[in-house]
Amino acid sequence: MKHRDFDIIVVGGGHAGVETALVGERMGRSVALVTMDRKKLALMSCNPAIGGIAKSHVVKEVDALGGVMGLAADAAGIQFRRLNLSRGPAVWSTRVQCDRRRYAEYIVDYVSERPRITVIEGIAGRLIVASGAVAGIVTEDGREISGGAVVIATGTFLGGVIHVGQKQIRAGRMGEPAATQMSRCLQELGFETGRLKTGTPPRLDGQTIDWEKCRLQPGDDPLPLFSEYSRREPFAQIPCHLTYTTDQTKQIVSQSFDQSPMFSGQIQSTGPRYCPSIEDKFHRFAEKPSHQIFLEPEGNGTSEVYPNGFSTALPEEIQRQAVRTIVGLEEVKMTRPGYAIEYDYCPARQVKASLETKLVSGLYFVGQINGTSGYEEAAGQGLMAGLNACLQLEGELPLILDRSEAYIGVMIDDLVTRSTTEPYRLFTSRAEYRLALREDNARDRLWMYARRYGLLPEDVLTGFDQLRNRTDRAVTTLERRYVEVASLDGLATRFKRRTHVSLADLLRQPGVSIADCREVIGNSAPELADDEEALGRAAIQIQYSGYIEKQQREIDKFRRAESHLIPEDFDFSGVRGLKTEAREKLARFRPRSLGQAGRIEGVTPGDVAVLSVWVKRHEANGQAGTDSSGERKEV
Amino acid sequence: MKDAPIDDTIAAIITPPGGGGIAAVRMAGPDATTVMRRHFRPHRGSADEPLRPFTMRVGYFVDSQGSVLDEVTAVFMPHGQSYTGLDQVEFFTHGGRLVVRQVMAALTRSGARPAQPGEFTKLAFLNGRIDLAKAEAVADVIAANTERSLGSARRQLLGAYSEKVEALRSLLVDALAEIEASVDFPEDEIEPATLKKIAQAVLRAESDVDTLLSSYQGGRILREGFRLVIGGRPNAGKSSLFNVLLGQTRALVTPTPGTTRDYLSEWIEVEGIAVNLLDTAGLRATRSRLEQAGQAMTEDIMAGADLVLWMCDLSRRRVWSELAEDVRRIQTAPILVAANKLDLTPEASPESLGKLGVEGCFVSCKTGEGIPALKQLVQNRIESILPDMTDGLAVTSERHAVNLQRALEHLRTARELLTQNASPELPALELRAALTALEEITGRVYTEDILERIFSRFCVGK
Repeated sequence: MKHRDFDIIVVGGGHAGVETALVGERMGRSVALVTMDRKKLALMSCNPAIGGIAKSHVVKEVDALGGVMGLAADAAGIQFRRLNLSRGPAVWSTRVQCDRRRYAEYIVDYVSERPRITVIEGIAGRLIVASGAVAGIVTEDGREISGGAVVIATGTFLGGVIHVGQKQIRAGRMGEPAATQMSRCLQELGFETGRLKTGTPPRLDGQTIDWEKCRLQPGDDPLPLFSEYSRREPFAQIPCHLTYTTDQTKQIVSQSFDQSPMFSGQIQSTGPRYCPSIEDKFHRFAEKPSHQIFLEPEGNGTSEVYPNGFSTALPEEIQRQAVRTIVGLEEVKMTRPGYAIEYDYCPARQVKASLETKLVSGLYFVGQINGTSGYEEAAGQGLMAGLNACLQLEGELPLILDRSEAYIGVMIDDLVTRSTTEPYRLFTSRAEYRLALREDNARDRLWMYARRYGLLPEDVLTGFDQLRNRTDRAVTTLERRYVEVASLDGLATRFKRRTHVSLADLLRQPGVSIADCREVIGNSAPELADDEEALGRAAIQIQYSGYIEKQQREIDKFRRAESHLIPEDFDFSGVRGLKTEAREKLARFRPRSLGQAGRIEGVTPGDVAVLSVWVKRHEANGQAGTDSSGERKEV
Repeated sequence: MKDAPIDDTIAAIITPPGGGGIAAVRMAGPDATTVMRRHFRPHRGSADEPLRPFTMRVGYFVDSQGSVLDEVTAVFMPHGQSYTGLDQVEFFTHGGRLVVRQVMAALTRSGARPAQPGEFTKLAFLNGRIDLAKAEAVADVIAANTERSLGSARRQLLGAYSEKVEALRSLLVDALAEIEASVDFPEDEIEPATLKKIAQAVLRAESDVDTLLSSYQGGRILREGFRLVIGGRPNAGKSSLFNVLLGQTRALVTPTPGTTRDYLSEWIEVEGIAVNLLDTAGLRATRSRLEQAGQAMTEDIMAGADLVLWMCDLSRRRVWSELAEDVRRIQTAPILVAANKLDLTPEASPESLGKLGVEGCFVSCKTGEGIPALKQLVQNRIESILPDMTDGLAVTSERHAVNLQRALEHLRTARELLTQNASPELPALELRAALTALEEITGRVYTEDILERIFSRFCVGK
């Protein structure tokens, strides 16, 4: 084998890049992590929180696959909350407010303990590509680093431009230079690029906030940790607060629309609709007099506060005025202004489901370059790209998580089959098999991959095996243990014609939660009450069992279509009988399977039927008897 | 086999519509033999013995309750040797749309999916049963069919039909957006509609689907005729009425109750609409096995009727209480009462019918009195089903109707869950399933469509 400096080169030390480097290292590869500042790994550029709806599911998945995000959030958490607890367990989500500095320090330490990771400070300027395959990078200051795979995780740094009012600054984050050369290199290689926008609020000095006027939002106790094997040391908890904008806020912001780069035409690219700037909120919902603002602490050793909901790109002076019209912030000191940032991305139809680019072999894109936003989305992609880069170096087939096994799978499939119109973030409504993709069963869904690829220590996996056994036993007990209906008090009315019901019957009643049954279970199955974790998992399985069975049939059908692969060299333009729109879309997206083809917008079931005929013909002609992109075999 | 992208079992009527002597239904797929064993009772040998390939067997085709629908010929072609390359079964029924449709419906209920246009041919190609050189032709067939349905979809865009479909889609996407917003943005200040309001919207959607389904009925009536079934207790004069309406003596009429043992089928025309007139065996308690079988068939036939012309005998002492009982029992189809033998009971008062809450009139098959009035009532009923279609509205395909039916079931479950205060991800699941079922008609609904509604309605952004 030719000499190379590193097996894998990771460009960018954010939430994606760090996970890529770590999984590569764990799988025995030498990794170069190229970043501007070795002390700023996995920085939280925007809000200091990990998790939230659907995102927490990804954190749990990353954790189940040996990633670091959950561990770091647990270690740095200053307020832990579970959201949606009044709904069903599929949509329960954990959100952890973090100490920004401690989070980054945890990751820096974690990375520095890995012997095969070398952190290199610098800015990647261009890629070395030889006969269609990546061979390394050259930094902007001319250093050449050779490697077997390159993962681009550049975040907002790729051609980043910051806007504050009319002021424009070339930067990747406030005060940090942008990567200015890489985009051109990608364009020269044939990649299509576009611009996206995101924004961040100003930061405030908490010592100048009148907390009495704000509503206290305490965290949960006991702390709902992300990771089952995190070793959290005591760390002070700080509550969040809730406050509101006033009529004056609305007045100031509305009068300044013309000074916002969003409305003046200075920013052309699209920002996320789920995270609008304050000027956008007053503009689009003019009838709404006031908006809520969450005051989130940035950490234990700092008084800095993040006003969530007040993202803005207005001129600094107007920000200062506007922020002081918010209840409790009348005297507030702004420590730094909010801003909007535009950056380059490559529409993700240019990557395969493995996250390897279709144009250049061995080159992977992760995070914002694929049009996503969010630390968690980035981490999920980073981990998968790192794993797949390793598998590629070993000559193995990539691991493609499908839509029925992980939110990571939903996200990547969405990315490669849909056109990006705004920064992408996950929602639980994006997952058609939502009931099967829960926080509580992330490990059940993914443990076999962790075991197959050695992503977690053996003792962690063994511990989980035991938990699964205990859960199975708890399910059996709940199904078989009967209680007298007469003893059920309030719940008794639900069982008019029966004298006895099983604990499982009880749990399956609509609107009945495990909490409602805790006492009954404690009385009739005391051995379960001691094993809270297994009981909780068992109860969820039982509550959803009927639906999951139905959904399983859908999943089976879905998987059959997924497993019918389209050869990589298949020529879509030669398919007669397709509608023009469908043919163009297919040629652009190059789906890997017939199932995936059907999810591309503008492709009808009729088109898929026509396509299947031609794919079959292609195979029969022996042009591609076996699939070169590979199909993952179930364990 | 292993490469077949579709491993559903599919079925379709493969003879053209209209009254041929024999109609054929083809079924292909991995479950073809299982479904066949459920429905075919050979006269010789047992249903469970190994199937002999390419052998015609005669027997009864029974529905899922075991009632005989028709005497049919069936042939089994094993995979690898059939046209489609999959296990394949063909049934040859007596012509007449009613029977063949019932056969088809029974297969669908047992899990066979109505085939897409060109699908048998596609399977034949995919399984290597037809020449590679024909690939293009096959693709063209599928494409042409798709185009054609697109063409008709476009035509329908102009009519009331598409408005209904659009309204339906919009209603469901809105309802789903309300639920999803509350699930995905719990920390935002959004006030999603109450569960009760969402349940009301779902109820409206149900009635929209119902309307579409009834337009399917209307479309089918145009294509296949109106099914008018004469029913009643034995010896009420059903066969006499049959003959009167037909204008000729076709049914054997005797004073002995139970004369008609299976059923008779003829075609008449009412105001340009083909009407399939069916005379059935009378319903009564009986010990005769033959008569019992005839009665089971009658109930099946009445269940598939567009209109039941229920006859009663005015000369019977307990005529009104019997009629009240009968009317209560027949829930499966709309009813029109023909109270016969007016000639024997000239003193009968028409008000008695009104008291029962059913429409109808007094007739005498013997003298012909009241028959024109009855014909007028029947005609009114036919027209009342048809008018919706004159706007170009009609669910025309069986596949659409099956999908609508499925959607209806999911909507009902969704509403039930909403009223039971179930956790929102559960009704959301049912609403999604309803939208998926409607996909062929409304076009695909993507999560983006739902998010779009959420973002335009609610100011989110914690």
